[in-house]
Order: sequence, then structure tokens, then C-alpha cells
Amino acid sequence: MKVGLVGNQNSGKTTLFNYLTGMNAKIGNWPGVTIEKKTGIIKGTNYELTDLPGIYSLSPYSIEEEISRKFVFEEKPDVIINIVDSTSLERSLYLTTQLIELDTKVIVALNMADILERRGLSIDCKKLEENLGVKVCKISALKETGIDELVSEINKLEKKSKSKIFDENIESSIDSIQKNINVPHSRFISIKLLEMDERFIKLNSKEVDNEREKLSKLYDTDLEEIIATERYNFIEKIKKECCKKVEIKQGITDKLDKIFLNKWLAFPIFVIIMFLVYYLSVGVVGSSTVDFVADKVDSFGLWVSETFEGLGVSEWLNSLVVDGIIAGVGAVLGFIPQLIILFICISCLETTGYMSRIALLLDKLFRKLGLSGKSLIPFIVGSGCSVPGIMGTRIIENQDEREMTSILVPFIPCSAKLPIIALFAGYFFENNAGLVSASLYFFAIIVIIISALILSRTKFKHTSSSYISELPEYKIPNIKYVAKDVWDKVIAFIKRAGSVILICSIVIWFLLSFSFNFEYGVEVEDSMLASIGKTVSWVFYPILGTNNWGATVSAVQGLVAKEQVVSSMAVIAGLSEDVESGSEIFADGTPFSGFNKASAYAFMVFNLFSAPCFGAIGAMKRELGSNKKLIKTVMFQTICAWILATITYQVGSRITNIANLIIILVLISIVICILISKFSKKSDGCSGCPYCDNCK
Amino acid sequence: MQLSKVKVGQKAKITKLNIQNKEIRRHLLDMGLTRGTEIKVKKKAPMGDPIDIELRDYELCISKSDLEQIDVEVII
Repeated sequence: MKVGLVGNQNSGKTTLFNYLTGMNAKIGNWPGVTIEKKTGIIKGTNYELTDLPGIYSLSPYSIEEEISRKFVFEEKPDVIINIVDSTSLERSLYLTTQLIELDTKVIVALNMADILERRGLSIDCKKLEENLGVKVCKISALKETGIDELVSEINKLEKKSKSKIFDENIESSIDSIQKNINVPHSRFISIKLLEMDERFIKLNSKEVDNEREKLSKLYDTDLEEIIATERYNFIEKIKKECCKKVEIKQGITDKLDKIFLNKWLAFPIFVIIMFLVYYLSVGVVGSSTVDFVADKVDSFGLWVSETFEGLGVSEWLNSLVVDGIIAGVGAVLGFIPQLIILFICISCLETTGYMSRIALLLDKLFRKLGLSGKSLIPFIVGSGCSVPGIMGTRIIENQDEREMTSILVPFIPCSAKLPIIALFAGYFFENNAGLVSASLYFFAIIVIIISALILSRTKFKHTSSSYISELPEYKIPNIKYVAKDVWDKVIAFIKRAGSVILICSIVIWFLLSFSFNFEYGVEVEDSMLASIGKTVSWVFYPILGTNNWGATVSAVQGLVAKEQVVSSMAVIAGLSEDVESGSEIFADGTPFSGFNKASAYAFMVFNLFSAPCFGAIGAMKRELGSNKKLIKTVMFQTICAWILATITYQVGSRITNIANLIIILVLISIVICILISKFSKKSDGCSGCPYCDNCK
Repeated sequence: MQLSKVKVGQKAKITKLNIQNKEIRRHLLDMGLTRGTEIKVKKKAPMGDPIDIELRDYELCISKSDLEQIDVEVII
């Protein structure tokens, strides 16, 4: 038996789904989009439950609604459980009135029965059943009450009575159209036809057009407005009959919002909370977990290596296992404690309701760039490490805004890029090292803004500039829910991102350890990677002014982890990989002696903006969903990096004076600000998905 | 007058929806902003946009530019 779970966002749908299916849910994506699809078996039964996206209506306009419609029409569920937030009954029933127009059996689950009691409200279930014509069950997904009765209702035979929602004129029009439609869900389709729903345009006819015109003249507006208004008129009638307000108790949400959304306090509070999230996930706490895991993996690797030596395993096999596989796995494992902390923070922000306030505060600003107000969080986290930053884009509902944020997060200098900055800035700019480092962050923000403007006008031009969102009540996070949420996200990371990281680490290990003669254990200069580097080093010519295979190889090694750029350079310079001093790496005689101030800055720029480490690439794959998009993204980032680095070097090597440089930068910044205000997003558009005919 | 001009704490009744964009118009209708609906402006974001309104027992935040396209009658 197939069951669909339908309801508004924030109706407790996920809590109910988790409770009904336990740990056996399968999480994937709906075909063609990066919206989560959850399916599971209801415990104690063999019913298959599918969680549909949170929707408020079944109109033909958004991806989420289209997914739900497709599910009903194509996957033909036997039962639909409509979960309703009983504290927002009026608005929630709007979707219900549409669901009962389908031929599928509907059971209404009035959730949050516990809160209703607390608020002094009561709903007469029997009266509601009479009015809607379907079974109504009272439940509390949180307190886990009423759910057994709900499940037992699934199997029962339906005693559905068709309830007439609309007034006489509309009902008679629906009847005359319905007579000529011989497919399932005829009443639903008839009403949608009156609304000129594009999905059913094939079933349109002269008769329908006549009925539509007739009604339109009668009510002096279009059918979409007529039908929506009539639905709410019906709901208001029901509400008067079925709901009783005993006492109005004011919640604390309004009082809290006086503080959190206060003109003066809102931003300072926000900064403090963001700092806390940063501190926990990528600051001291987060990075110490990374170091801890790295240590453990190293010791394990060492132990394995020695054991293999003792057993007489060949050197190359030993290295493959230890330096390739274990190091690769270790890289994945290293991120996990950090991700757990980050996901806990995000889950808490979401379930308490504060996340919506963040979106509210920053929305206006970010929307100009085609991003969401929530995009700030991934950027902040990304300044510590791109991997949790990219994973954090999950909080953004709109697919385009989410993908754009994922692509832009790696542009922020992460902590792994700091050794590169320390090396080059420290050696070439000595006293101005701090200024140079700060300038790179500034540079990064400007690049992000410009890229966002470009992307939002080209690839992602479908984001609408409208903001319509519910502000949920403040709630205390439910530990069970948070735990399950974190678990699901971590598993998803391991599955999708982990494989990319592992495979790529092994590939690089291979290229570095072997020469083209398949000789193992060669010097860096003779390895395959170096040979490839030598042939490709002309790419770096415009950035460095010379053909430098060492820099090329180091940059490629940066793909494994940005920290490896410096250690790679040290090794290529003939030193031990722990060396970090510029005076040794750039000394005469090393392959890097040709670097000067301009090429140093340019090389830093390249490394900062080029494709991020495999961990971040893996995380991007997870968020973008397809290999095609991933490759396009990596190319976009690397080409940007190349262009920026080239400009930097070509301009930089011709500037003789720091003062000139600073003045030029200030002028450029002013130009950029003007560009932003002129070109920021003003147009509205659809969501740009493959579901309606406009964008197919 | 435009809904965007209603002050915080004031109540108003929707008289007309003038929204150009079909998708946004439908979405607002679906969320309950129909003619004759009584709304109350609860809060405004620190920069004045978006605006949080209360209707039909729940709260909805809508961007100022959309609210400018909704006509209302203020209820004293």
C-alpha cells in the first residue's frame, strides 16, 4: 500500500514521518531537482510512506507543488495523509480543500493537539469530518499520541462523501465540465481547468471556456481569485462551526521578536550568534576535532605501514594503502566531527525558528545578488572550511539560490589557504604582510559579489525577487529530531562526497609516486605529476612570468588539500615537507627563485579562487546533484582564478608604487558599488525548473 | 491605500490585489490574502523590508514591493 504524506511547511510533517518510519527511511532526490525525497516503511506494517515537499496549495507554479501533483497522478498512492497544524487551521485547510477534490482517499491528521490544549482552543473533530467528508484524527507527532489510530485508519474502507465547497454558480459549472471528463480526479481537474491550469490544457474545450467567461463576468475577476476566495469562505464557515476559543493565551514569540527583530539589537545579537556558530564549528572546537582525527589516522597509518614492512609487503603497495587509501579515508573522516557540530548548530537554528529571522534580516541585501538571506551562514562557515560551508547551503530552500551559494562559498579564503598566504605574504611583503592578507579577503568578497551578479543574470536568472515566507513560532529544539537530522546529513556526506575525495586522493598519490616508466618511489621531479606539470606549465606563464613546473605541481596538489601547496613546494625545493620558511623555499637555486612580489600575489590569487580541495568538490557534487554541473562549476572557478591571477600579475608587474596600487583598488571598488546598484536583480521570474512548459 | 503603508499595529481589510506577476499573485491568494480578509501589521524588519503581517491566525512575511501592489482599507 502506498501512502503519501502531504502538508504545509512547519506542520510537523518531518517529525511524523520520522516517527512512523524510524531509521529505515531512504533519502534521495526527486528526479531532475535537488529537493529531498524521503521514502520509508511504516513501522509494524508494509505500507510505503513517501514524504512530499511542504506545500500550501496544488497550483501549477512551484516545483514543490508540481512534484506533489505528479506523485498523485503518476505514482497513484492509495492514501494521502494530510497533516494539518491545528494552531493554523484556517490556512492549513486550504490545501485540504484541494486534496479532497482528488479521487484518492484522504485522512486528515490534526497535529499539535497538545499545543491546542495549552492555548485554550478546541476543535470538534466530528463536525470537521462532516463538513470535509473525510476522516479526521487528532495527533501530536511530538508527544507521539494518536498515531496508532491514524495508522489503523489507513486500511479502513473510505466512507467519503463529496462535500460541496463552492456556491451554486461555480458548482454547476464544475458539474457541467466534469461530465465531459473521463479520467481519474475529474473534479480536481475540472476546477483546475476553470483556473486555466497549463498542466491540463489538453483537456480544455469550448465548453470550459464558456463556463469560465460566464463566472468571470459574474464575479468581476479572474477564476483563480474567485476559487481561492470561495475556498477561504468555506473554511471560515467551518472554523465558526468547529472551533471554540476558550481563552486567548499570548505566546512568547512576539515578546522574543521584540528583541530579536529590534531595530538596534537585531544585528548585534545576530553577530554574536554567528560568532558562536563559527567558533563551535570551524573555530577552536571544530579544528581541534580535525586535528584529533588527523592524529589518530596518522598513528594508524604508521602502525599499518610498519606492520606491512614486517610482513614483507612491497613498498608501493604499502604506500598505496597507507598514503593513498588511509590518507584519503582519513581526509573524509577528518571532516565528520566538524560537520556534526555544524549540523547541530544549523538544526538548532532551524528548529528554534531563529533561522527565519536571519533570512528576514539579510534578505533585502542578498536578494539583490540573487542569493538568499540565509546564504550568509555558509559564507561565514566557509571562511573556516569550505566543506561544512557548502554542506550548510542545505538551509536555502530555493534551488537556484542554493546552487549559487554552493558555487561561491569556495571563493572565501578558508583556513587551509592561510599557510599559502602566510608563506608568500610573509616573505615577499614583510612589513605589509597583514595588509596584504586583509586585501585578499576584501578581494574575495568583491569577486563573490561580481560573480553573483554575473551568475544571477546568466545561468540563474530565474530567481524571483519576491519574499513570501512564514515566520514560525519560537520553539525549543527537539533532541530526537535534531539527532536524526544530523545523522541523515552526515550519512549523505559520507556517501556522496566521501567517494569523490577517496578516489581523487588515490589518483594524485598514483601520479606523484610513479614515473611514466611505472617506476615507484621516484623523486618528485621525475613523477608523472611533474611531467604533466612541465607540459602544462605554460598555462601559468601569464600568471608567473616564467614556466614554472614546480608551481604547477604544487597548485595541483592543492586540489587534495590547500595546505599541501606549501608542503609540496618545500619538497620540490629539495627540502623536508615541514619547512615553511620563505627564505628557504625561495632561495637561489630552487625552482621558485624566480618569484617576485607581483607573481607571488598572483599565485596566491590563483590558489585562493581556483577549484577548491577534493573535500569541497565532493561537497559541491552533493549539493549540485549532477556531474555535469560539478564540472561546469569547477571550470568556472578555475577559469575565474586564472583570469584574476593573470590580471593581477600583468597589472602588478607594471606598478612600481604601492600608493598607485591602493588608489587604483579604491577606484575599482567605487565602480563596483555603482555597478551593484545599477545591475542588481529587479526583475521577477519563475523558478526555472523542468516541470512546466516554459523552460522545458 | 497600499498595504505597505499601513503602520505597525494597525488593522486593515484587503480591497484589491493589483499584483502583476501571476505566480506571486496566486501564491498570495493561496496564503489567504483574498478580498475582504482582515490583516494586522505586526512587525517590520529592521530595514523596513520585509514586513510581517498577521492574518487567519498566522504570520506571514512579505517583501515591501509586493505589499505595494495590494490595496487595503484601514480599520480603526
